[in-house]
Amino acid sequence: MVKLMKYEIKGTYKILLGILALVLILITGIYMYSRDSSNFLNFGAIFMTLSVLVLFGTSLATFLYIVSSFKNELYEDRGYLTFTLPLTGNQIVGAKLLVAMFWFFILGLAIFLYNLMMISIFSTSEFDFSELFKAVGQVVSVKEIIIGVIGGIFNLANFFILIYFSMALGRVTFRNKKIGGLWFVIFLVLSGLLAFIQVQIIELFPYYFDINTFKMGTMEELYNFEISIGNEVSISSETGIFKLNIASSIYNIIELIVLYLGTAYLIEKKIDL
Amino acid sequence: MSNIVEINNLTKKYANKTALDNVNLNIERGKVVGILGPNGSGKTTLIKILTGLLRQTSGEVLIDGNKVGVKTKSAVSYLPDRNFLYKWMRIEDACHMYKDFYTDFDEAKFNELLAFMNLNRSMKIDSLSKGMHEKLNLALVLSRNAKLYILDEPIAGVDPVARDQILDAIINNYNEDSSMIITTHLVRDMESMFDEVVFLKDGQIVLTGNAEALREEKAKQIEEIYKEIFGEG
Repeated sequence: MVKLMKYEIKGTYKILLGILALVLILITGIYMYSRDSSNFLNFGAIFMTLSVLVLFGTSLATFLYIVSSFKNELYEDRGYLTFTLPLTGNQIVGAKLLVAMFWFFILGLAIFLYNLMMISIFSTSEFDFSELFKAVGQVVSVKEIIIGVIGGIFNLANFFILIYFSMALGRVTFRNKKIGGLWFVIFLVLSGLLAFIQVQIIELFPYYFDINTFKMGTMEELYNFEISIGNEVSISSETGIFKLNIASSIYNIIELIVLYLGTAYLIEKKIDL
Repeated sequence: MSNIVEINNLTKKYANKTALDNVNLNIERGKVVGILGPNGSGKTTLIKILTGLLRQTSGEVLIDGNKVGVKTKSAVSYLPDRNFLYKWMRIEDACHMYKDFYTDFDEAKFNELLAFMNLNRSMKIDSLSKGMHEKLNLALVLSRNAKLYILDEPIAGVDPVARDQILDAIINNYNEDSSMIITTHLVRDMESMFDEVVFLKDGQIVLTGNAEALREEKAKQIEEIYKEIFGEG
């Protein structure tokens, strides 16, 4: 699997680093424009709009590129190489998924760090990062950040694997290349169905796990943090704002495993190239 | 002598077409077998089932005693009828990939074959002509010391010079302990290589046997037998 990942990264790094370079140039442009902007009223709005557009564009471009990389295995001649390598379906799907996650992580991290650097360069006053981290730390705890990051990675993996599964199922169901795009319909239907099941599960089992206190109970039992509005808005961090629905979390883990194994099974045992 | 390939009652059906119809075939170790038939006769379907790219509708396929899977993929060196290498690669990358995935890959032999084919390792895959692609793919496939080589239409669509190079490469680099399956409809150029021939028509085997014995029995070259079988319309 690691060997296939090596060739996946080799095959994608030029385009993805190109996207990253373009994004970093655009971010630099936005910061420079913001510094030189004489219209202070519009400054924040323009900065936010441009930033959101750039980040959305990057995510979309990266996403489309990664998704098409899996689709190409199913519909292009390169599948004749990939699927005749002595690898199991699990190994092929695992390599594809991990490389997709790797690129999202690398691009996300690079853009985050670059933004911090830009802030320190373009900030008019002395910018103290320790103050920023301290302020963030008052709102969310380290535990919550870690769980948040793990949850984010998990959701991203779930999202990718649902796309892979839909594509593999589409390839098995419709042999014709021209209607290969129908995988997207399968994806929408499956997404809706899985979300519906999740809502039902949450309603059936409304028990949550509080990451900060390690307590379990219903939302009413755990939901006791206060927001006081006086001279400043404060959210009490001790009470915790991250509460996981236990049944829903288990459902998500099972969903990921089932979709992963299902995709691996389809490409190893069912797909006709 | 044991069989490297055993095919029993193999059928492959698509929605409205039967591509292979109850095919039975055993291939002995050390033999070069030509699977002959026009386009659409089921040759490529049969090859794709042997390499794990297609699933049979029914029947059994064993390679070296194993069902088609990861183990048989390690044992088979496959030349598809298309440019299957990743487009971003240089020849160098393709060599490294084969070396990484196939323990039987012989890099020195690959370098010799590249020189013979007038190719060099720095060439980009997507800049190669059809003939160069075919030569590169064959160099990779023949550089493995595999138990079974499967070549799908190795000389289709290439110019006469490249065709001769490809045929010479196959003859000179074929390992006699291994077995080879070659599909083709260009019988004249390849018939001297075959120990056994299998004539495939509309998904069924219509004639099979030792090439030399068939020549003697019918007092004809394999190409003439081919024309006799497939020329009826």
